[in-house]
Amino acid sequence: MILTPWIVVRIVAIAMLGVILQLSFFSQVELFHVNPDLLPALVVCLALLGGSTTGAVCGFAIGLFVDCLLVGALGISSLVLLGVGWSAGLVRERFEVHGLLTPALLCMGLTLAAELGFAVIHVLLGIDAPISPLIVRDMLLKSVYAFLLAFPIYLGVRRALRPALVEEPRLRRRREPTVLGA
Amino acid sequence: MYRKQVRRRRAVLALLIVASFVLLSVTYGTGSRGLQRGVSTIFSPVQSVADRALKPARDLVDWFDETFDAKGENSRLKAQLIVAREQAVAGQEALQENAQLRKLLELEASPALAASAFEQVTGRVIARSPTFWNSSLTIDLGDGDGVRVDDPVISGDGLVGRISSVGPGSAQVMLLTDHASAISAKVVPPGVQGAIKPEVGNPEDLILDFIDSTKEVRRGMTVVTAGWRAQSLASHFPAGLPIGEVTRASPVEQEASQQVHVRPYADLRNLDFVGVLTGGSR
Repeated sequence: MILTPWIVVRIVAIAMLGVILQLSFFSQVELFHVNPDLLPALVVCLALLGGSTTGAVCGFAIGLFVDCLLVGALGISSLVLLGVGWSAGLVRERFEVHGLLTPALLCMGLTLAAELGFAVIHVLLGIDAPISPLIVRDMLLKSVYAFLLAFPIYLGVRRALRPALVEEPRLRRRREPTVLGA
Repeated sequence: MYRKQVRRRRAVLALLIVASFVLLSVTYGTGSRGLQRGVSTIFSPVQSVADRALKPARDLVDWFDETFDAKGENSRLKAQLIVAREQAVAGQEALQENAQLRKLLELEASPALAASAFEQVTGRVIARSPTFWNSSLTIDLGDGDGVRVDDPVISGDGLVGRISSVGPGSAQVMLLTDHASAISAKVVPPGVQGAIKPEVGNPEDLILDFIDSTKEVRRGMTVVTAGWRAQSLASHFPAGLPIGEVTRASPVEQEASQQVHVRPYADLRNLDFVGVLTGGSR
């Protein structure tokens, strides 16, 4: 990805839109008693298009923004999402990512990893309450939702950042030459 | 050139990780009120607008979810209706007795009705935490509305949580299901006291812990806030706010772990409006 100031502005706008959407919409709707988590999937998509450094920086910034808006301890979401961004970026740098299935599967896997990351950090910081086995169901369902959300997110982010993408294949098919009168 | 690039990437990663740990160490338990207040002040109007704009879409998704739940809910409600009818009949009798006893003991003049010192302000939920580890809401009320930290927050059904932080135009509500939440409560009628704590990850199950195991607590009993007062100290919560009903109370669990399970009355997952009780003891 070629990072120009205009592209950075677009990435910031995408990140802010994602966070606002998460807090005002996705966190407040439930399907089968679980609310979808858009943010790990968004970070994965940004990392898949921008690489590991972009992914890590975006993950850190998005996490910090969420923690600021929720007035909780800063750093937890940043740490987890930067790990997600870095990992997705590494996959992009080491393997060829074609089509939409790979990003969707990565979103699913890394959302599950992010949920496990949140769990580990909170347990390490100390939780003075019992933990319900239902969190396993929540984690799995969140990763399934991330798989489904990955398709529109990846397409949307790729479209928004298209001018910066080096390897973006030309989408418009060239018109076949025709013989006059044929 | 490539090595230099790799080194730079690793340096950025290390820097971000260190920054995360520093932020976590500095702000854990206390929060960075200045930065967070600033960001929250700037973005709470945006969140408020987004919340209103996205309400129809949220309602649509909720409609699907509730349709799935409705079938199971229907049979449960029918069973509850039969019990409620019986309780209503018993309640009428109890109300008559209660009125007579109140008159007799002149409870109206006693400090037991300290709840009247609270004033309720209604706010709209504008954001919600995405993770079940921090169970919190953001509401569109701030310190200008008289909201202060630790004020009780209620819905039409019962207690929801308490205010954990306040900004100029928004406030954070720590829900009953947050792992850091603990509220003194009692079971009525036996009057068994304990602390209401969550079971992380299960919003429909709270635990009333540290109860007196010698007194019997049965399924279906109501749990309310204890609202204690000791000399100059007093609970932030008025006495008698409904919290939930006892759903599981096995004698073995009561004896061994001094706890029973409680289902909150308030639907903590679907809150659009909440009331903040301001002006209580601080």
